[in-house]
Amino acid sequence: MAIEIATVSNTPLEVSRHERVRLSPLALIVLLTVALGVTTLVSLATGAVSISPRTIFAAMLGYQPLTEMQRLILFHLRLPRVLASGLVGSGLALSGLLFQGLFRNPIADPYVIGSSGGAIFGACIGISFFSQWSVFGFSATALLAFAGSAATMALVYSLARSAGKTNVVTLLLAGFAISIMFTNSSYFFELFDKTGTGNRVLASWLHGVIGIPSWTELGVSAALLAFATVAALPLMRTLNTLVLGDEYAHQLGIRVEYARVSIILIGSLMTAVSVSLGGMIAFAGLIVPHVARLLLGPDHVRLLPVAALAGAIFLMLADTLARTIFAPSEVPVGVLIAFVGGPFFLYLLRKMKRSYTV
Amino acid sequence: MSCLLRMEGVHFDYHGQKVLRQATFDLEEGSCSALIGLNGSGKTTLLRIAAGVLRPAVGAVRLLGRPLEAIPLKEVARTVALVPQQLELPFDFTVQQVVEQGRTPYIGMLRGPGRSDRLAVDRALDLADVSSLRHRVFNELSGGEKQRVKIALGLAQKPRLLLLDEPTQNLDIGRQVELIDLLHFLRAEGITILASIHDLHLVDKNFSTVLLLSPGQPLAIGTPEQMLKPSILERAFQCPPDRHPLLIERAELYRREAR
Repeated sequence: MAIEIATVSNTPLEVSRHERVRLSPLALIVLLTVALGVTTLVSLATGAVSISPRTIFAAMLGYQPLTEMQRLILFHLRLPRVLASGLVGSGLALSGLLFQGLFRNPIADPYVIGSSGGAIFGACIGISFFSQWSVFGFSATALLAFAGSAATMALVYSLARSAGKTNVVTLLLAGFAISIMFTNSSYFFELFDKTGTGNRVLASWLHGVIGIPSWTELGVSAALLAFATVAALPLMRTLNTLVLGDEYAHQLGIRVEYARVSIILIGSLMTAVSVSLGGMIAFAGLIVPHVARLLLGPDHVRLLPVAALAGAIFLMLADTLARTIFAPSEVPVGVLIAFVGGPFFLYLLRKMKRSYTV
Repeated sequence: MSCLLRMEGVHFDYHGQKVLRQATFDLEEGSCSALIGLNGSGKTTLLRIAAGVLRPAVGAVRLLGRPLEAIPLKEVARTVALVPQQLELPFDFTVQQVVEQGRTPYIGMLRGPGRSDRLAVDRALDLADVSSLRHRVFNELSGGEKQRVKIALGLAQKPRLLLLDEPTQNLDIGRQVELIDLLHFLRAEGITILASIHDLHLVDKNFSTVLLLSPGQPLAIGTPEQMLKPSILERAFQCPPDRHPLLIERAELYRREAR
């Protein structure tokens, strides 16, 4: 693996302090792609009924067909769920990356700033009132999740920004208030829900449980996430410029309003895809971009593919743990991540207090 | 010499407060002008208007004869660069990554930076004498180093007009001199300069023109000798003539010359 050590100032004494060991992005992408393959295989093999990777390989190469039972478990239970957790992880990491750049703040996580809450609220309206509707093949639930997330982000953004700066306290409080409001409003949806199916969906959404989606659902989600990622690609350089501040970006020729709206829309689409598959999962969108930034530096162009891959790996591993750690019972993956992510969030908050506040 | 930037009767109010009144002036191509005035007299505002970041409530700004607001943002950014007082970064960008942002007006949405962009960044780093810092993290630099990197970022835009907001603020006298030398050097390279300067000692020998802002008064413009008269400074800075060493010193100077 190519590791480039940036040589720094001419005076050797200073080198030790400012030396940055940063990986080459291409090497990291190759490494992560391999790791994603391995993780997928391990996740498929692990579970109540263990199916060894060798068996899976043998079946793939056609040496030895799977038993009916193994086939059922692999293709109807595990594979959809493993793929779903990958999509959820990518979506959260990517939207985290986008929102962190937009807010110029490393603590902007889609859950913490209320984007996930907005998506849940939209989805609830969809499930309760428009469950039969669809527009261009997208269910009303999915569209409303997207709309809910985008509207929340626009609101939080306008609340937390003043004079071209993000106020961290306002950002956190606005996100917090909106999350509480929306998650608790789910109570009303229970009142309207006659069949009780929406109820169960809702309960698992609030804790962040990755369900077993249908193949159509998976396909649509994957297509939407891929679309959002491709759309985000040309905006990554703009995000680098926006990090200098709105005024700076403006005087460098960026149409700031336009860029901002695009980033909010694309980030919200990513959040909506994640939420519709896995519900409210906190801090994944915080941890993954942060670690990626430590390895690669803050250039968003490089971070985009790495965040997508690393997010998928992170959530696949977390969900596999969530399924197996207390087997035969299952912990919601959102709960599991909260226990790791919470302290991490507090650490970031503390670090931030020392360096650059507000 | 041709006129690069012209302001005509520019007014600007900030939250109902009158900041700029009747700002009218021409900036000749190749000139090096200092913008002086009381705190809050609108120096920063004037620079932001000149860069197109703010739009004046009344009056016109012309860049190379064309109304500023009619010129596409990217084209303005290739002609005028503003070096602001503050640059705070939330992430650990290196100096090189910061200076590369100066190429934004030259890079399309889909195309990445090319050879000419890399050359321009190298040249900007060289001109501002920060090549040796290129892999350092911006946030870890000293005040003087940050100031130079901000100037390099502006130079990467390949501007004809460089606007600097208090470039000597918070610098020790040694770094102030280095910075003034850099401005002289850039002027020799053909870049027109307008810098707001807090320390009037630096203005006298180093600038060809002085723009003076007084609160609520029209902007005054002249040579350093004309504008740095004690009688003018006294009024503009609302400072008693016998209290500040600078005014006493200037009064002494003019007395001697009169004799």
